[in-house]
Amino acid sequence: MNGAGQSLGAFGPWALLFMAIAATYLWRGLGSVIAARLDPESRFLQWVACVAYGLLAALISRIVFLPVGILENTQLVDRLGATALGFVVFFAFKKHIGAGTLTAAGVFMLLVWARTQGML
Amino acid sequence: MGMRDAFGLPAFMVAASMLGYGAMVHSAGMSLPIAIVSTLGIWGLPGQVAFVEYILLGAPLVSMMIAVSLANMRFLPMSLSLVPMFRGSESGWRWRYLWVQFMSVNTWIGLLRRIPELSPDQRGPFFAGFSTNCMIAGVVGVSTGYLMAETLPFYVTVSLVFLNPIYFAFVFAAMRVRACLLAFAAGAVTGPLIYLLTPDWSLPISGIIAGSVGYYADRILKGRA
Repeated sequence: MNGAGQSLGAFGPWALLFMAIAATYLWRGLGSVIAARLDPESRFLQWVACVAYGLLAALISRIVFLPVGILENTQLVDRLGATALGFVVFFAFKKHIGAGTLTAAGVFMLLVWARTQGML
Repeated sequence: MGMRDAFGLPAFMVAASMLGYGAMVHSAGMSLPIAIVSTLGIWGLPGQVAFVEYILLGAPLVSMMIAVSLANMRFLPMSLSLVPMFRGSESGWRWRYLWVQFMSVNTWIGLLRRIPELSPDQRGPFFAGFSTNCMIAGVVGVSTGYLMAETLPFYVTVSLVFLNPIYFAFVFAAMRVRACLLAFAAGAVTGPLIYLLTPDWSLPISGIIAGSVGYYADRILKGRA
């Protein structure tokens, strides 16, 4: 990590948190500053929105495939299987967010539980 | 009326997602005040998740700032469409810098839905009430998740942590804008692949690649139609 900036370990959690809050408010504040001046239909803003969606998808997908933290202790096949089943239900119920979310989380919990019980 | 609107699904989803986030902060070894302040301060789950994940990774500071900032970059187009709603009301317009802090995917949609029924002067109070309810639900959820993480069995805690990304996967998959959907699909592919190449910078790079793919693929499809 040398050369790419100071590592996070050099700062306390509160300092990091306030920097993260400031980094987030940047977009909110910037939006209200230029709301009066810019055409919301402009091409640049459409591209910016696409980048945001692509980035969120990358984050979610990375957590499912290559998690860091507590999810590291679960099986890839469980995470993928639960997600896939969730999407089946999601589309079966005409893109119902609640149905998809609850199915995926429920199936995932069941699979992890079955493993702790030695059933899988 | 805003507070009444927020009861039900929006508040439930905020509380449930923050329950998972609370458990996640606990599993990362950080304190409850950090969990609460990061919830209300960042007030956008992808950015909050990026914040915790980056602290776990111990990545460079600049990379963390960029990741958190970019993970919440949707707030720029969102606030660009939210703020004009308060025009025509002196008090509503004056508080616009506060309204954008209250804004989340939930509260943004909550206001947009009611816009036709609300006069400009009613929008500020409605949005404040709706957001307050969601924030209370968020604090209750994150505290409960954090405190219960110690007593809950592993399979429940880990499922609550899993709930965060999965809820957003479905919220975004339900989007109707094709360019956004294409970018979302591209990001799901590039995310893990680029992470293998460069863990620290994978999010900003994936976002720009996937976003450009979605944006230009959509334009090409439009050109054909």
